[in-house]
Amino acid sequence: MEIVTKNWEKINPLDINTYIRSGGYEALRKVIRETPLKVVSEIKRSGLRGRSGAGFPTGEKWEISAKIVADQKFIICNLDESEPGVYKDRIIAEKNPHQIIEGLLIGAYAIGAKRAFIYINGHYKKPAEILKIALEQAREKEFVGRGIMGSSIDVEIEIFSGAGAYICGEENALINSIEGKRGEPRLKPPHPPVSGLFGKPTIVNNAETLANVPYIIKRGADVYSKIGPSLSPGTKLFLLEGAVKNKGIFEVPLGTTAEDLIFNSLYGGGMEDGKEFWFAQIGGASGRLMPRGKLDQLLIYGPSEYPIGAGSILVVDKMADIKDLLFSWADFFHRESCGKCVPCREGTYRLWEIAKWLKNNDLKERDRENIEDILWTLSNTTFCPLGNFAAVAWSDAISMFSEEIFGK
Amino acid sequence: MQIKINNKPYNCESGETIFSICKRNGIRLPTLCAHPDLLPSEGVCRMCLVETNQSKGLVPSCVQKVSEGLEVRTETENVNKARKINLELLWADHAGKCAACLRNGRCELQKLAKEYDIDGFKFVPRRKELKSENELDLLKDNWSHVVADEKNPCIARDSQYCIECRRCVRICREMQTVEAYGTNYRSSNTNVGTPYEIPLDCIFCGQCSAVCPTAAITEKDEIEKFEKALADPQKMVIVQTAPSVRFTFLEEFGMPPGTFGEKKLVAALKALGANKVFDTILGADLTIVEEAAELIKRVKNKGVLPMFTSCCPSWVVYVEKYYPEFIPNLSSCKSPQQMMGALIKTHYAKKEKFDPKNIVSVSIMPCTSKKYEAARSEMKASGRQDVDIVLTIRELARLIRKKKIDPIKLEDGKFDPALGISTGAGMLFGSSGGVMEAALRTAAEKITGEELGRVDFEVVRGEEGIRCAEIEINDLKLRVAVVHEIRNAKKMLEDLKSGKAQYDFVEVMACPNGCIGGGGQPVPTSPEIRSARIKGVIVRDKGMSIRKSHENPVLKKIYKEFLGKPGGDKAEELLHTKYTNRKNIS
Repeated sequence: MEIVTKNWEKINPLDINTYIRSGGYEALRKVIRETPLKVVSEIKRSGLRGRSGAGFPTGEKWEISAKIVADQKFIICNLDESEPGVYKDRIIAEKNPHQIIEGLLIGAYAIGAKRAFIYINGHYKKPAEILKIALEQAREKEFVGRGIMGSSIDVEIEIFSGAGAYICGEENALINSIEGKRGEPRLKPPHPPVSGLFGKPTIVNNAETLANVPYIIKRGADVYSKIGPSLSPGTKLFLLEGAVKNKGIFEVPLGTTAEDLIFNSLYGGGMEDGKEFWFAQIGGASGRLMPRGKLDQLLIYGPSEYPIGAGSILVVDKMADIKDLLFSWADFFHRESCGKCVPCREGTYRLWEIAKWLKNNDLKERDRENIEDILWTLSNTTFCPLGNFAAVAWSDAISMFSEEIFGK
Repeated sequence: MQIKINNKPYNCESGETIFSICKRNGIRLPTLCAHPDLLPSEGVCRMCLVETNQSKGLVPSCVQKVSEGLEVRTETENVNKARKINLELLWADHAGKCAACLRNGRCELQKLAKEYDIDGFKFVPRRKELKSENELDLLKDNWSHVVADEKNPCIARDSQYCIECRRCVRICREMQTVEAYGTNYRSSNTNVGTPYEIPLDCIFCGQCSAVCPTAAITEKDEIEKFEKALADPQKMVIVQTAPSVRFTFLEEFGMPPGTFGEKKLVAALKALGANKVFDTILGADLTIVEEAAELIKRVKNKGVLPMFTSCCPSWVVYVEKYYPEFIPNLSSCKSPQQMMGALIKTHYAKKEKFDPKNIVSVSIMPCTSKKYEAARSEMKASGRQDVDIVLTIRELARLIRKKKIDPIKLEDGKFDPALGISTGAGMLFGSSGGVMEAALRTAAEKITGEELGRVDFEVVRGEEGIRCAEIEINDLKLRVAVVHEIRNAKKMLEDLKSGKAQYDFVEVMACPNGCIGGGGQPVPTSPEIRSARIKGVIVRDKGMSIRKSHENPVLKKIYKEFLGKPGGDKAEELLHTKYTNRKNIS
């Protein structure tokens, strides 16, 4: 099942005509003959959910902004993508940038935004360049700018390069970053669809989410909503890495199991030779650890024991040192904490400190106690979810592999 | 609306936060980042967490708004666990040198640590003992980015005490629009500091030091200089005390805000060994007389209008730095402190046959900015710096405590009469609108030549940021405005520029409610505390026998013997000053 990855090999990302020949910008043409609210309702009916982690229904989000009367509205494509092990949005931008741009234009039309941004991770130099060229070509073809396709609709798109902070993937921090402020989450409410960039209604959508939009418009919500489970329809790009034989991006319908993804010869093809499965981390550094016995869980958005986050699956074999992993998680979140609230700023630091001692086999009895307190405060008291994320893998590891970590 | 807190019903309005309702009803909630001058809260310290029936986890009460059917529990096991862990985390990131700390006993973190039984360190302390000016460069490269900034003339910063609550960042941005502070670095290296860690470049108002929960930002401590002067038998130590500090001094010793403490203040200064204690109110009266004369002159001769008051040094620096085009509007009158300083080392020294070089002129102020003002190069009417040492009331109280003096137990003291007679008008200088009211009392009589029936100009009193009124004196109509906090001053200046507003006379004070809310006043501060202080001022003015500046007998005598006429040559030389365009100069 291919929606996002379809035509990747046929399209030259630097030539808009190859995209147009494969049916590109037809969805946009169709949309501008409809009323914006009709477009919103189509996306709503499709059941599309955000592909960045939280899985919020995209149509519902759009509807909030679309119904607000404001002198200005914005839509932002979130291409900050900084979860370790996740690079799907980068590949979409590199392989088929117009798919993102078209989705963004449709979103802008649906909510009534005249300005759109592509907020791209500062480290993504090549995709930014490709998007820039794609945008110029789309402007020449009058898909972007004033009077789209001869209509009276104006949408300007601007590429905004961030500085590569993980927290700037959080929509409020991202908005702060565009406003020239420090990349930090804001207090909610108000939520961005009501009051976001410069206090105006703002939609922030993940790049993969937007890349699904042209397909939904072209084929209709009914077709899309029948792919995968009804509460979480559509396909998803999963990223397989670690001790699995075939690494890389795989597009499968949501509702596939991790077992299938890892062991099916169409996808992961099983473990690397000589390696034995230990556990899989689902969803990036902020993801939970899935033991062998849970591999039959369906990977979906919505309520689930193992949230799929941005879609990465790290397969860990029994040769791996859990202490190395603990350190790499702690190191990442310590580095990426924005420093705003006490428990995250200090807690991620302390966890990192303890991870260092743990790695050097220099753990004291009191550190064991402290780990529990730190994980607890990170899970329960932080300002934004980053703090909670920092505790997820650690908490699982402590409960699953206490012996390997602390000895008998 | 009604909500339940700890099973008891409380009335509230929609839009209120749980925190504010608890505070109103005396329910204790710890906080290190929320402050009544900084609403709405940002919720960064995670200390005021509570549990409610409407959310799963813990919620920060300072940002959580009430809703129908809300039930709050403020002291559950989880709540206390969260507070304790977060406090432990902060404690290990704090210098933890309480005994030597300027804020010892008045530190919000220390108080909470005591309350939550934090003894010793659960986590390894992160801050090392590092301080001093020449170590600054070294400190900058230190991994925890400890910055000790001693280059600002009024404010001292030492980031090892900082708990990143960001009150300073917000007060400087939101109340004063100066934005001298910001947040540097990220993660555990996050540090509240200045852009590029240059020495703090600001207008010296000291509001940051008034809201800082710890000793990360303090007034620049000059106690030692004062002690040295007191100990030197060659030196004649002459102290003046500002109008407002007599209403706040006793807060430092446990009395409620607004308590009139003039007599205890004078007594304590005498007990410390000050040779003479004078009242800055005489300087205030002089300022009024000079300023009224200047205003009348400007109005009659069609000079530059509106005229701005110039007794607030932070306001003066603000104009010099950000709106130099308005420098001609600033009254050329020196502030009361500097008028007193000039008189002490000239007129008084001459009269008493003291060598001015042996006089150490000290002023006790509600203000950090006065330290800067005293050091300005123009302030040398006597040929040397007119005021040598400026202490905030906090510093003075610290010294008094250090010397184990209990001012409440001291016998009442009295100002030395040579320069120590007070009027109600001068007393009013302490709060926003006071200079205006005092000036109007004098100006009205000077213009009409008749005695005022009613001396209270209530229209200029109040707490709004900008208060405007039209005052009629005979056939002269004066459009006046009273402004406090720089954000309002900025708005006033912009309105003048765009022609949206027209005034003849504007009083501006940088601090909230004027000097009574000064950056050097006792901590804590809040709108309620300041209201109580103002009440004290107003009551006292009413009870004064002399309520108009120009009727101060000492002042009359000085004009007769020494200064000549208000606005005359001698007065011009000693009591007036000039300003400098400081745009783009730091």
